[in-house]
Amino acid sequence: MEIFKKTPQIKFLKYKYIALIITAVIIAAGMVNIFAGRGLKLGVDFGEGALIRIAFKDPVVVADIRQLLTDIGLSGSSIQEVGDSGREIQIRAVEVQNAQAGESLESHAELSNKIISALKGTDGERETAQGLIDLNTVDQKTLAALFEAAFPEQGTALTEVVLKARNSESVKGAFSDFADLSKAGVSAETVEFLKSKTFLGKLNILSLESVGPQVGADLRRKAVLATIWSLIGMLVYIAFRFKLSYGVAAIFTLAQDVLITVSIYSFSGREINLPIIAALLTIVGFSINDTIVIFDRIRENQKALRKMPLEEVMNLSLNQMLGRTFITSGTVLLTVLALFIFGGSVINDFAFTMLVGSIEGIYSTIALSCPVVLFWQKWFPEKRRRR
Amino acid sequence: MKKGLRWKILLTLVVLGFCLFMALPLKDKIKLGLDLKGGIHLVLQVKTDDSLDGETDQEINRLTEQFKKNSLTYASAVKERPGRFAITGLNIDQQTMVRDVVDQYAPDWDTAYLPDKVTFTLKPGVEALLRDQSVNQTLETVRNRVDEFGVAEPLIQRQGDDQIVVELPGVDDPDRVKDLIKVTAVLTWKLVKAGPAEDEASLLQPFGGVVPDDAEIIRGDAKRGHPGVYLVEKVAAITGSDLRTVRRGTDEWNNPAVAFTLSPEGGRRFEQVTGANIGRALAIILDNKIQSAPNINTRIGDSGIIQGQFTNQEVDDLIIVLKAGALPAGIEYLEQRVIGPALGSDSVRQGMMAGLAAIILVMSFMLVYYRLSGVNAVIAMIFNVVILFGVLAYFKANLTLPGIAGLILAIGMSVDANVLIFERIKEERAAGKNVPGAISLGFNRAFTAIFDSNLTTIISAVFLFQFGTGPIKGYAITLIISLVANVFTAVFISRLMFDITIPKTATKMSI
Repeated sequence: MEIFKKTPQIKFLKYKYIALIITAVIIAAGMVNIFAGRGLKLGVDFGEGALIRIAFKDPVVVADIRQLLTDIGLSGSSIQEVGDSGREIQIRAVEVQNAQAGESLESHAELSNKIISALKGTDGERETAQGLIDLNTVDQKTLAALFEAAFPEQGTALTEVVLKARNSESVKGAFSDFADLSKAGVSAETVEFLKSKTFLGKLNILSLESVGPQVGADLRRKAVLATIWSLIGMLVYIAFRFKLSYGVAAIFTLAQDVLITVSIYSFSGREINLPIIAALLTIVGFSINDTIVIFDRIRENQKALRKMPLEEVMNLSLNQMLGRTFITSGTVLLTVLALFIFGGSVINDFAFTMLVGSIEGIYSTIALSCPVVLFWQKWFPEKRRRR
Repeated sequence: MKKGLRWKILLTLVVLGFCLFMALPLKDKIKLGLDLKGGIHLVLQVKTDDSLDGETDQEINRLTEQFKKNSLTYASAVKERPGRFAITGLNIDQQTMVRDVVDQYAPDWDTAYLPDKVTFTLKPGVEALLRDQSVNQTLETVRNRVDEFGVAEPLIQRQGDDQIVVELPGVDDPDRVKDLIKVTAVLTWKLVKAGPAEDEASLLQPFGGVVPDDAEIIRGDAKRGHPGVYLVEKVAAITGSDLRTVRRGTDEWNNPAVAFTLSPEGGRRFEQVTGANIGRALAIILDNKIQSAPNINTRIGDSGIIQGQFTNQEVDDLIIVLKAGALPAGIEYLEQRVIGPALGSDSVRQGMMAGLAAIILVMSFMLVYYRLSGVNAVIAMIFNVVILFGVLAYFKANLTLPGIAGLILAIGMSVDANVLIFERIKEERAAGKNVPGAISLGFNRAFTAIFDSNLTTIISAVFLFQFGTGPIKGYAITLIISLVANVFTAVFISRLMFDITIPKTATKMSI
């Protein structure tokens, strides 16, 4: 099968100024948005504060939760509903007042406790006083001990069944009703026993991440260092294998890949976390791969077609590699699309970044990498070797 | 069959066999990172100043004792900060004597003499050593506590100068573990001089409002039913390090308590102290809070109980920390991540589904587009994943979310390598080359592009590994492994399959 029956004859480099203008416009819009508009939200990995995901027993309304948080002085928190059950909420909070240097180390941890106790309110206090255990938050050891007392030798097995039901896709961490247990195949006897010994608390913590200011700063520093050094490493290698102008063009292309993706990302209102950095790096990886494949073909064609001007050679190489570019990028897009659609909420931000980046990567490879080589060679002409 | 071919097949089989052996069964061999599996990730900072503080106190005690012994005059010993103190009010006539004592008893300290004052600063080398030791000891203690608590496959390691990373997969009771790790667990028994009293003023009234030299004020633990303040002797009768065994026990009202036995030496001292002080109260102090202060009714030998209105769980946790020993320095949590099992299994389920969908989509595309040659590409892709999992298992590395990103990039590049080769073969065929010639040229000419692009990405991944932390390191390592595997599968194995399946005389190929 072929995408193109014959090698296409598109004059890509005729549009080099248009490409540069498009790139500049997108990046400028993004930078305006980042520095003067909505800004780039640093996630809990790079900033400080807490990120909490909570499963509620019953559906909740975001406005109610906002009110509860405002009451404890955390009105600046962002609250998001996750999934479509209406029972899962994600809260990102940053401590409002700056604690003393000595205390600030622990304040991020206390922040999450504060939020959880505010959300819980007085729920469960009466039941706990009666000696009942919260089945929605109980840990494995405690539950096993409870079962073991009533059903000797079966404690571990029963615990496993109950906790598996609690982690199942429909229950999602918090039982709404004891009937959920029966639906999951827990025996009537066990359910009756649990009804007498436990109660269903209002919420269960699905995940809780809190990061102190020190760690965030350290991570930011290391991420920047890693990026700079890997760019330098690539520049040196490409300059060595090709020419300096190609190395510069590759780095320029990569920089604009990251800038465009981040610009578009900034409009989505999502937060930057470590997986997003991984996605950006992956985009850079794909892009450098694409770029080198084109450069490799240019290098080869130049040897065979010594008379042809560089711009023509570039057009020819781009056209020759067009089929391959579409196939490779197409398969990557398929992969990323699968992640975006089926990957679930935890990797959704990641998949979104990849989606933007891999579409953008096709554009940058075709439209941007070669013009930069031309411009560089025009501004810094290489000395011709004398015959 | 040609001899060269036989060796290539053998090499391929050995590599694959090894990787399959390492990676299977997948469920046991490939460890999922905490972000996928659920568990606790903590970063602790060790307050290394604490250990300097202790060393400074000890040195002050040692020197002042020697000063007294040698009848050297001094007014006071002042701690300026951990690792620095001064002894003031010296008699200028005794200076040589002072120097002798200092040289003999404070060899680890840099000294600065003034006529009536010596300032001591801990030597930089010693200070670094102490800080380092305190981090290592803390690490050991934390490890012991986690082991006692019973967590499968905990990861506890040092990071940087004074940080410790603790990863506990599958633990679903974060608060308990955090408290368990953090408690310093310094346990002492001290004789009570006075108290409990409501506040310090009323406590000190019998002593004329000042704390006697040999005593100190310690608060009771309100949680244990002992509010109020106590005046206790400074010197401990026995300490936690005298304990030989600890186990669950009960007090006389059948409440949970910790039962202990002492080492023979500790037992003798305990017997002496209790025998001489019948009728007085003996405070049990944990982390500078009085847990209980029972009266000594009789001479006690080498065993006893620690009581303090504990719950069963609190008794268990206290036993764990007593067994594992005290922390040499305090710790702070810099970072904590708790991923509940519900979220973890959700991510895995969805991640698996997405991954499978992606792989099936890509494979189907390759098969439709390249027909029989697509089979080569699909097999090369599968081999790539097998090698990746094998090497991951060999290094006992965890598969994390960013790691999956690395895997996607690698699969993408593996497909790309095949696309490059196949497109090249097509070009060569279109240019009129025969089948074996086109295959050979296709591989040779595509090789530079594959090599350069993979190596460039590896270079950047190496820097990421060098500077990255945690998840980014995981990403980099997954990427490096699969890119190396990529060059092997796409260039070597894929070529091998063409060599095996397409005869030298073929005039047609399915591509």
